[in-house]
Amino acid sequence: MALFRTAEIIKASKLPPEGVKLSRMIDAVYFLPIAYLGVFATFHMHFDLLAGDWDFWVDWKDRQFWVTVTPIVEVMYPGAIMYYFWTFYRQPFGATLSITGLLVGKWITIVFAWYWWANFPANFVMPATMVSSALILDCTLLLTRSWMLTAIFGVWAFAMVFYPTQYAIFGYSKQPMVVDGQLLSLADYMGFTYVRTGTPEYIRIIEVGSLRTFGGHTVWISAFFSAFVSMLVFTIWWQIGHFVGQAFFWVKGRRGVMSRMNDVMIVGTDDFARRHGTPDGVAPKLSAAGTFAEGKS
Amino acid sequence: MNAKNIFKVCVIGSLGMATLGLTLAFNASIAAAHGERSQEPFLRMRTAQWYDTKWNPQKTAVNDEAMLSGKIHIAEDWPRAVVKPNRTFINVGSPSSVFTRLSSKVNGTPMFTSGPMELGGDYEYVIKLRGRLPGHHHIHPMLAVNGAGPIAGPGGWMDITGNYKDFTNPAKLLVGGTIDTEVAGLAAGLFWHVLWGGLGFAWIGWFMIRPMFLIRARVLAQEGGDALLNDPVDRIVAFGMLGLTFSLIAVGFFTTDHTYPYTVPLQAGEPKIKATHLRSDLTMKVLAADYDVPGRALRMTLQVTNSGETPLSIGEFTTAGIRFLNKVGVANNLDPNYPAEIMAQDGLHMEDESPINPGETREVKLDSRDSLWEVQRLMDLVNDPEQRFGGLVMSWDASGNRHINSIAAAIIPVFTRAAGI
Ligand SMILES: [Cu+2]
Repeated sequence: MALFRTAEIIKASKLPPEGVKLSRMIDAVYFLPIAYLGVFATFHMHFDLLAGDWDFWVDWKDRQFWVTVTPIVEVMYPGAIMYYFWTFYRQPFGATLSITGLLVGKWITIVFAWYWWANFPANFVMPATMVSSALILDCTLLLTRSWMLTAIFGVWAFAMVFYPTQYAIFGYSKQPMVVDGQLLSLADYMGFTYVRTGTPEYIRIIEVGSLRTFGGHTVWISAFFSAFVSMLVFTIWWQIGHFVGQAFFWVKGRRGVMSRMNDVMIVGTDDFARRHGTPDGVAPKLSAAGTFAEGKS
Repeated sequence: MNAKNIFKVCVIGSLGMATLGLTLAFNASIAAAHGERSQEPFLRMRTAQWYDTKWNPQKTAVNDEAMLSGKIHIAEDWPRAVVKPNRTFINVGSPSSVFTRLSSKVNGTPMFTSGPMELGGDYEYVIKLRGRLPGHHHIHPMLAVNGAGPIAGPGGWMDITGNYKDFTNPAKLLVGGTIDTEVAGLAAGLFWHVLWGGLGFAWIGWFMIRPMFLIRARVLAQEGGDALLNDPVDRIVAFGMLGLTFSLIAVGFFTTDHTYPYTVPLQAGEPKIKATHLRSDLTMKVLAADYDVPGRALRMTLQVTNSGETPLSIGEFTTAGIRFLNKVGVANNLDPNYPAEIMAQDGLHMEDESPINPGETREVKLDSRDSLWEVQRLMDLVNDPEQRFGGLVMSWDASGNRHINSIAAAIIPVFTRAAGI
């Protein structure tokens, strides 16, 4: 028995062999240079504008704002991209694609802008990684096949595992030290020792506000708060994906009237097929002789 | 490649060469400073008065220590257009971190984080640096004011010799041991980034090795397509990936927690540094001041009273980190290392140069005249939203004791020579 159902799927697509070959070329051209580059360039810009400094500097990575802001911002693109890849192709890698794309952009910046041009050591400008969160989100969507359950459980885990994942990378920077008779964390000292002319200390937004009651468990309070906002943000961006990723179908109803079908969520489900028939009913402006689905048009 | 294509490539190539040539022709001058002169004059003349600035030594080897020190007077006449210095940080203005900063003390108090400063207060800063990136660097002390941005002090050149490869920045930890801030945590960070990145790409790759888009879209549009695309092997892999992800997170978190049992959160305090205050036996009142645009001079009439016991001579006027001296100033306060490009040794003129005697009140006409007004772009004062100036006047007695007065007043521009007072 084959590992994958690929043969069945290709058969069901009713494409001739040359069509299958062509579709793989479209996959390559569309996925790497267009989808991937587009996502990493725009998501990187989007992220740096909203949460950039928390990610740039080791001395911004506090228990409150960093933990709150980063998941909320990093769940935005995954929401829209997951909508697109899932709804149209049932591909469960939207979040991982977004987050690895973001990190590709981040690392290009770190190597060329921060390290090579501005001469900051790479540890000082090390970014956080949310690939772990993205994998959880994608797996949740694949397993539940429901964006609502993904928003509730997947996004909740997405935000909650942020701090433990980062701790492996940044835990070292929380070691205490004493400089000039004052207690500092190593991260504070690195922020002090590496001179940033345009980013004075007071720019840091760390540990201010009233989110630190509950016995000092600041991190987990922040993570919970972040998780709830992330759920909301995820659903909003899923809807943005729905709005931007417009695909509509002309559907011939039971009485023979053509109408525009906007609810792409339902297209392709068995329920839809039962109600509207298939494949003729979903193909755009079908002629009686040949149909799009049979690869003749 | 046919002739037409070769022709096209030649045209594109020559256009490129022409662009490059034009760029080099028009843009070949080297930018020596980094924009400090572009700050508005009122921002430089009426906020922070820098004096006694020292860049020491001017040549440092990589890993050797240097010092940036001096004093700053926070002007009483702080402009309305600039946010008050409620949260400030004395910073170093340098082209990236050419030095690392080891310690920074303001009036003897360490200043790791930002704090308030008092209008009319004086602060002495001593910043200990460590040579990091070899080169010829323009270094400024800087007052960063939350809401107003960084205000650059005078800039001086400092050279760092040696090799960046030799640079280390050891830091002593509280629980014992020393680490180098250049590489601390780097290996662990790279390891986890590579590991997570690898897993992420593997997850995407798992779906890339099969038809991705067109075929799946067509299948999805058919009855049973959704179920067909739900490949059982993907579900197994997804469960595996979930388990692996959670395990790796746990392993990373607990091993790190075990490696660093003692940690502290980021420290974000606010030092309340006590100011000192200028002392002078002279009292000064600006009766009138004008600004001779073509003559490049600031002319002021001061009413000066000496309420002390020794005769005092005015020797220096300094504003925006730019110094105008006369013979008295040169004799008492000439730091040979002070950058010549922001100091006019014969820039201060008075009609009556005799000392002001105890008990005497005199009207002093004080001119600070030099092309520096133009070169340092303080001339642009005429374009400011509030026509006022400020600065420090320094006077000395015969035994070299210094008295400093902070002055500020309205100023009238004089656009033509004929209209001068
Ligand atoms: Cu400069």
